[in-house]
Amino acid sequence: MRCRFTLLPIAALILPGGPAYGTVYLSIQQAQALLFPGATFQSETRTLSDDQVKAIEHASGVPVRNHQVKAWRVSTGGWFLVDEVVGKHEFIPFAVALDRDGAVKGIEILEYREAYGGQVREQPWLEQFYGKRPGAKLRLNKEVRNISGATLSCKHITDGISRLLATYEVVLAPNGH
Amino acid sequence: MVLTGLWQPSAKADEPLFGFTYTTDTQPKGKFELEQWSTTRFTKGYGSFWLQDNLTEVSYGVTDRFQFSLQSDYASTSAFQNGPFRATTPPEPFSFDVPLPDARYARTRFISVSGEGIFRMLSPYTHPVGLALYFEPTFGPGFSEPEGRVILQKDFRDDRLVLGFNFTYAPEYRRLQPNTKCLCLSETDINFDSGVSYRFHRNWSAAFEFFNERELASLNFTNLINSAYYLGPTVHYANQNFFVTVTFAEQMPWATVHSNTLPGAIVNGYDFDNDFEKYRVRIKFGWNFGAEKR
Repeated sequence: MRCRFTLLPIAALILPGGPAYGTVYLSIQQAQALLFPGATFQSETRTLSDDQVKAIEHASGVPVRNHQVKAWRVSTGGWFLVDEVVGKHEFIPFAVALDRDGAVKGIEILEYREAYGGQVREQPWLEQFYGKRPGAKLRLNKEVRNISGATLSCKHITDGISRLLATYEVVLAPNGH
Repeated sequence: MVLTGLWQPSAKADEPLFGFTYTTDTQPKGKFELEQWSTTRFTKGYGSFWLQDNLTEVSYGVTDRFQFSLQSDYASTSAFQNGPFRATTPPEPFSFDVPLPDARYARTRFISVSGEGIFRMLSPYTHPVGLALYFEPTFGPGFSEPEGRVILQKDFRDDRLVLGFNFTYAPEYRRLQPNTKCLCLSETDINFDSGVSYRFHRNWSAAFEFFNERELASLNFTNLINSAYYLGPTVHYANQNFFVTVTFAEQMPWATVHSNTLPGAIVNGYDFDNDFEKYRVRIKFGWNFGAEKR
C-alpha cells in the first residue's frame, strides 16, 4: 500500500498531555479554617473493615471506593471529612463538615477540573445538603437539583455526601463526637 | 458524515468515548464545540488503496437535551487495481467516477454538508439506561442521505465503565449516471455499532468496539448486498478543554456472498466492495469553546 496522508488535519496531530487546566480552590487546611474557624483538628484516619463497608453501602446505596476514611475530630465539636468522587474527566475532592449531631454544616469543593458545572462549588448548590443527617434521602433531580452540563459531577457529589453521612453513622458516631 | 452510510463519519454526541459508536451525551445549553475528524481507510484484496475522509463539525447545545450540529466533509483517495477482478475501483464517495480498469486513480473533493440533531430522551446518569435519537440529513453533489440512529448507553462502576449500542438506518440516494437528473436509491445502510469503554486513569479511557455494517438494495431490510464486521481498540483522552480519540478497526474475515453481492467483492472472507476495506483508523479532536474559565 502506498499511502500519503497529506490531508491529515493538523489538529489531529496535537498530542494529549498539555497543560493541566485544573483549579485547586482550597487545601485541606484552608477548608478546615473556613468550615471550623478557630478550631484545632485531630486526625483520625480509619481503615474500614469489610463489615463496615457493607454497612455503609447498605445505608447509602453507594459503593465504597476507598477503604481509608480521612477524618479529623474538631476541637469545638463535630467532624471534618475529606473524600473524592469521579468527575467527567478527573476526580473531585471535597470536604464535609459535620456538627456534633452528625448534620452537614458545610461543604467545600477542593478541586474542580471539568469543562462545565463549576457551580457545584458555589453555596447555592451546596446549601441543599446543609442540615442533612445520616439516613436522609439525597437523590439527584429530587431532593438535589441538577446543574446543566454537569449531571455526572452532581450525581457523584450527591452520592459522595450520602456515603460520608453513612460513614459517620457506621464508623465515627459510635466513638463519640 | 457523510456520505456513505456505512462509512459513517458522522458526528458524535458530545465528547466521544468511541470512534464509531455514539453515546448519549449532548452539549449543555448555549455551549459550542468544534470537532475535526480524520478517518483513513486502507487495504483491499488486491492492488493499492487508501481513502482519507476529513470532517469538520460545529455543535451547539440548543437545550440541555437537544444538540444541533453542522458539518462539512471532504475526502482524498488513491486507488489502483484494488477492486473486484483487480479493476481500479474508486471508493463509494467517488463512485460517480469510472476509471479504466488498469488506470491509477487519485482525487480530492468536497463530499457533503450535513445537519445533525441529537435529542437525549434519557440520561444514563439519572436513568437505568441512556437513550438518544439522532437524525442527520446529508447533501452533496449527486448525493443525499437521511440518516436515523437510536443510541443506547448503560453505565457501571461510577460511570467509568460505559457500554454503548447504536442502530442506524440510512437510505442513500445517488446520481449514478452522469447524464441523468434522477437521484435514485443507491442502497440502504443498516449498522449495528457497539462498544465498551473503561476510564482506567484520570482523563484516559480505553475501549473496544465491534460493529456490523450492512448494505441493502431496498428500503425494507431485503436484498442484502454486503455485510462486514469490524473489531478494534480505542484510546480516548479528555480534559476540560479538549479531547482526542483514536480508533483502529479491522474487518473480520466473516463476509459471505448474499443475494445482491457484487461478483468478485468477497475475497478470502473479506468484503471489499467500494464501501469496505480491511483497516480503518479514525482520529477525532475536539475543542470546547464553552469551557468555563476559572
